[in-house]
Amino acid sequence: MTNKLHRRVLLRASGLALASASFAATPFAHSRAANKKKFKIALSNSYIGNKWRIEMENLFKAALLMEPYKSEVIGSWFNSGNDVSKQSQQMSNLIAERVDAIVLNAASPTALDGIIKQASDRGILVVSFDNVVTAPSALKVNTDQFEFGKTLAEFLAKKMGGKGNVIMVTGVAGTHVDLERNRGADSVWQQHPGIKVVSRYTGMWDSATAERNTASVLPSLPQIDGIWCQGGTDGVIKAFIAANRPIPPVAGEAENGFRKFMIGYMGHKVDGISIGQPPFLSLVALELARRVLSGTYPKKDITIPFPYVTSETVKVGETVFPNLPDSFFADFTDAGEHAVLKICVDAA
Amino acid sequence: MTAKTAIGDMPTPAVEASNVRKAFGGVVALDGANFSAASGEVHALVGENGAGKSTLIKIIGGRLHADAGEVRIAGRKVVLSGPDAAHRLGAWTVFQELTLLTWMTVAENLFLGHEIRNSLGLIARGKLFSKAEQVLADVGIFHIDPRALVEDISLAERQLIEIVRAITQNPQILLLDEPTSSLVERETVWLFEQIRRLCKNGTSVVFTSHRWNEIRTIADRITVFRNGKDVGTFTELGEEEAVTLMTGTRVDVFFPPLPQAPQSQPALSVRELSGPRIKSVSFDLYKGEVLGMGGLAGHGHREVFFSLFGAEPHSAERIEMSGKPVRIRNPRGAVRQRIALVPEDRKTEGLLLPLSVRNNLTLTILRQLSRFGLVRVGEERRLAQTLVERLKIRARDLFVAVGALSGGNQQKVLLGRWLLAASDVLLLYDVTRGVDVATKHEIYELVLGLAREGHGILFYSSDAEELAHLCHRVLVMREGRIAAVLSQPGITAEQIVAAAMREHATV
Amino acid sequence: MPQYKAMEHTALAQPFRRSAAAHALGQNIGLILVCILLIASILAYCGIYYAAQERLPGGFEITSTVNNTMPLVLAALAQTVVVLTRGLDLSVGGMMDLSNAIAAVTLSASLGSMVFWSVAILALGALLGLLNGVLVAIGRLQPILVTLATLSIFQGLAIRVLPQPGGAVPEAYTAALVSTKAPYALLYVIAFGVLWSAFRRTRLGVSILAVGNDAQAARAHGIDLIRTRIAAYTLSGMLAAAAGLFLAANATAGDATTGNGYTLSSIVAVVLGGVSLFGGRGSAIGAMLGAFVSSMIVNILFFSHIDPLYQAFYEGLFLVLAVVLAEAVGRLVRKAS
Repeated sequence: MTNKLHRRVLLRASGLALASASFAATPFAHSRAANKKKFKIALSNSYIGNKWRIEMENLFKAALLMEPYKSEVIGSWFNSGNDVSKQSQQMSNLIAERVDAIVLNAASPTALDGIIKQASDRGILVVSFDNVVTAPSALKVNTDQFEFGKTLAEFLAKKMGGKGNVIMVTGVAGTHVDLERNRGADSVWQQHPGIKVVSRYTGMWDSATAERNTASVLPSLPQIDGIWCQGGTDGVIKAFIAANRPIPPVAGEAENGFRKFMIGYMGHKVDGISIGQPPFLSLVALELARRVLSGTYPKKDITIPFPYVTSETVKVGETVFPNLPDSFFADFTDAGEHAVLKICVDAA
Repeated sequence: MTAKTAIGDMPTPAVEASNVRKAFGGVVALDGANFSAASGEVHALVGENGAGKSTLIKIIGGRLHADAGEVRIAGRKVVLSGPDAAHRLGAWTVFQELTLLTWMTVAENLFLGHEIRNSLGLIARGKLFSKAEQVLADVGIFHIDPRALVEDISLAERQLIEIVRAITQNPQILLLDEPTSSLVERETVWLFEQIRRLCKNGTSVVFTSHRWNEIRTIADRITVFRNGKDVGTFTELGEEEAVTLMTGTRVDVFFPPLPQAPQSQPALSVRELSGPRIKSVSFDLYKGEVLGMGGLAGHGHREVFFSLFGAEPHSAERIEMSGKPVRIRNPRGAVRQRIALVPEDRKTEGLLLPLSVRNNLTLTILRQLSRFGLVRVGEERRLAQTLVERLKIRARDLFVAVGALSGGNQQKVLLGRWLLAASDVLLLYDVTRGVDVATKHEIYELVLGLAREGHGILFYSSDAEELAHLCHRVLVMREGRIAAVLSQPGITAEQIVAAAMREHATV
Repeated sequence: MPQYKAMEHTALAQPFRRSAAAHALGQNIGLILVCILLIASILAYCGIYYAAQERLPGGFEITSTVNNTMPLVLAALAQTVVVLTRGLDLSVGGMMDLSNAIAAVTLSASLGSMVFWSVAILALGALLGLLNGVLVAIGRLQPILVTLATLSIFQGLAIRVLPQPGGAVPEAYTAALVSTKAPYALLYVIAFGVLWSAFRRTRLGVSILAVGNDAQAARAHGIDLIRTRIAAYTLSGMLAAAAGLFLAANATAGDATTGNGYTLSSIVAVVLGGVSLFGGRGSAIGAMLGAFVSSMIVNILFFSHIDPLYQAFYEGLFLVLAVVLAEAVGRLVRKAS
C-alpha cells in the first residue's frame, strides 16, 4: 500500500506522497496525539527561487497535513530570500510569536547567530538544515559536503584510471557548502598526481549559468577526460554537446536533466554519478524538532549519507523522470525512508 | 560714428583683457579680443550670438580659462582658477544661464559661499531669512519671499535674485550677461537704478543685451564684437550702425514689412478658455495671421500657450481648428491636431541638447520618415540639410550637438522642427529672447514667411517693440484676461505697454 | 527709450507672503511623508500584531526590530550622502561585506582591540570610499560603473579575508552597538539625526546638496566639484563600513556575503525616505526613517500571514504604492501652496 501511494504521487512531483508514505509507515505515528498542547514549529527558509527549495518546502507543508504532525504540530513557513536582515527579522517575529521550534534553512551560516542565540535564550529550539548555521545552540541536520565532493572525485578518478584532464564547475563562492565540496574533491586529486584540473570556474549551482560559463571557457581547453560539477550539471553537458565535444564521465548533482542524460537523452548517453542534497532534509529537521520537543530524542546533530545513483543504477520512475523538466531535483526517493528510518533507529 | 582710442586717455582700467583667445574644440570663440572698462562706467558689449561676448565675460568672471592673452584687474595681471578667485578680486558675474540652485531657498542662494555662521561655526539658519529679507529690502525688492524655493519662483524673479547676489557683494567689477532677457520693463528700470547707484560708487559695470533701447539708455561706452574680435569702442553709436558693425553687412530695414491681410477663415478659434491664471480667454487666429500677445510677465500668456499645446490643465467652452471642434488633452494630441509650440526655454522645454541638429530637427516626424519601423536615414538627412540652409542655421555640420550652437541657432532648430512637422498653428512663445539682432531679423522674416504660406501664428514677446512691428493684431493680457485688442495700422510699443499697465498704475 | 523714463517704480513690491510654516511644510514634504508612512506602518504593525498575538509588541519586538534595522540605517546614510550629489554608490554592500569580514576576523574581547579595529575599519572604509570618489570626480567616470566595479572588488577582498563564514564578535561589542536588552541602538539613530542637522549647516553639507542640485551652478558659486564629490564618497565609504560593523555585531559572527543585499535595500530606504535620486533634495533623517519603514513592511507581512510565496510580491507592491503616493501627495502640496 505504501509503495503504491508512493509511486503515484511522486510522479505528480508534489512531494506530498513521500511524506505521507514514509511517516505513516513509521512506528512513531501514535504518541502525542492525546496531548492537549500542540507544538508550534515554523520553517524559516531563505531563498525560494529554485526547484530544490520549493520541493523542500512542499515536503514540509505536506508533512504538516499528516500524522503525527497533524495532531501534534501547528506549523508555519516563511521565506526571506537571500536577505539576511529579513530572515533575522522574521526569526525575531517568530520569537515574538513564541513558537516552540524553528526549522531553519539559513541565508548565512553565521549572520543569524545573534538572533539564534536570542531564540535559544528564550527556550526556543532551532534546528538548522541544508545551509546550516554555526551557532552552537542550534541543532544541525545535514549531509556531509566534504564527502559529496570526495565521492564525485573518486568516481572520476576510477573512471579515468587515475590520469587525465578534469574541469571543476564550482558553486557559490563564500558558502560553506561550496568550500567543503571543493576541499573534498581536492583531497582526491592530491592522491592522483596524474589528474590535472585544467579549469575551475563557477556554475553558481545553476544550469543556465553553468552552461554559459562552460561554453565560454570550452574553446580554450584541451581534451577533457572528466567533469566534476557541484550543480548545473545538465547545463555543462549541454555546452559540451553544443561545442561538439565528446562527453567524458560526469560526476554531478541530482538534476533530472543530468539523470536523463545518464539513461540517454538528446542522442547522448552519459556515463556518470549523480549525487543530490536530498530535499527531505526539511522533514528530518522537522521530525528531529518534534522528537526533541517531546523528549524522545537527545539534542544531537544528525548527518545523513548521500543518496547517489550511477548510470548503472539509475531507474526510470524512481530516480529519473523523463516526463519532468530538467531542472527538477530527482533524488529524494530511494533514501527517503531510509533517512527517516535512520533517525528512528538512532532513537530506538 | 565716433571711434575713440579710449584706452589711452583713461587712468588704469578696472578690468582689461588683451589679445584673449579661446577655442572650444574646433570652434574659435575669441580670436585675439581686446577689451577694457573703467571704474564707474557702464560698458556695453554688443555683437551677434557667438561673437564671443559671453565667452569674454566668463573668462573675466573666472569660469573659463583663456587659451592665450591676459586679463588685468585693477592693473594687475591675474590668472583666475575659478569663480571664487574672481570674487576675491571683486569681480562678480551674473551669467546668462542662471546659476541658482533650484532646490534651495532664495535666502540660501543669496548667501551661498559666504554664509553667516554661528559661534559653533555652523551656518546660522535662524538669521538666514531675516538677513536675506534685509538684503532684498535694501535693494528695493519686497515681492520675493526669501523662504521660497527657487524652484517655485518665476524666471524673472530668479534673474532678480541672481542680480541681487552679485550687486550686494560691493563688486569692483560687475559683469552682467544678458540680465534683462527675462525681465519686464519695470524690473529693467529697477536694474538700471541699481547699476547707476553702483557706478556712482566706482563700480565698473560690463553689460550685454540684445535690446538696443536698453543699451542706449544705460551704456556709457559700447564695444562691438564680431567673430571673436572687438571691432571698435564708441561713446555714441546708432542702432543701424551697430548692426552693420556686428554683422559686417548693412541691414536696411530692421523689421520686415507685414504681409498682406490674413485670410478670412480662422485657423484656430478659442472660446472661454480658463485655467490656472487664465480667465475666459476668447479669440480667433486667422490663417496667415501673426497674432501678437503682450503684457506683463505672469499675467497668463504662458498658461494660454501651454494650455493650447495641452501641457497645462485647462477648460474651454470650445476650441476649433479650421472650424472643427477639437479637444487637446496633451502635447501629443496637440501635435496630431497640427499645433506646434516653440517655448522660451528652449533648453528644458524643446531641444535635446546632447543630440545632433539632424536628430532634433526630425524628432517629431520620425514616424513619417520611417518605413517598417526603421528611419530612412538618407531622407532624414536630405530634409534636415534643406532646412538648415533655409533657416540659415550656423552649424559645422548636421551632426554637431545642438547644445554646442549659439542661442539664436538653437531657436532656429526648434522652429525648423515644427516647419518639418507641417503645423497649421504655431505658438511662438518669446522665441527671440536672448537672440542676437541679426538672428532676430532672420527669425522675423521666417515668421512672416510662414504667415504668408497660410500658417496661423500666435506670437508672444516680452519686447513690445517687436509685437508692434511684427503682428497684424495684438492681444494685451492682464490678470488672465484679454485687456485690449490692438489692430494695425498704427500699433505702437507705447500703446501695448500702456494697455498692460492701465490697471496696475492704480493698484 | 520713453517708457523707461516714464515709470518711476523704485521698489518691486507685491504684498504676498506665505508663512514660514507653510514653506517648511512644502519644502520638507519628503521628510513629513516618510514620518507619516512610518507612523502608519507602525500602527498597522501593532494592529496586526494584536490581532495575531492578542497583545502589543513588547520590549523584545521593539529591540530586535531596531537592532535588525541598524545596518540598513547606516547603509541608507551612506547611500544618501552620495545620492544627494546625484551619484549612486553600489559598493555599499561590498564595503559592508569587507568591514563585516574584517571585524569577524580581528575583533577580540579586549576594549583596546575593539576600539582600535573599529577605528581602523572605519578608516579603511573612508579610504576605499575615497578611491570611489577619486575615480568618479577626477576620473570623470559614471558613478554606477565605478561603484559596480568596486562592489565586486570589495566583495572579492571580503571573501579573501573570510573565505568561509565564521569568526566571532565579542559579546561586549554586540552589547555596545546593538544591545539586546533594550532598543538602546535608537540612541545612535538620534545621534546621527543630530549630526546630520549639523552637517547640513556646514560648508561641505551645503556643497553636497548644491552639487547634486546643479553642478555647473554650484561651480559658479565657487564650490569645488571635485573636492565635494570625493568628500561625499569618502563619507559614504566610512558609513558603509560602520554599517558592516553593526551587521557583524548583530550577527555576532562574520559572513563575507551578507552585506550584498544592502546595496539595493539602501537605495530603497533612501527613496522611501524622500531623497531624490536626481540629487540635491532630501534628508538623511528621512533615509533613516525609510530604513525603518522597510523593516515594518517585513513585520506587517509576517504577521498578516500571507502565503510566503507572495510576500515578495506584496513587498514590491507596497514599495511602489508608498513611493507613488509620496510623490503624488508631494506634488499636490507643492501645487496647492
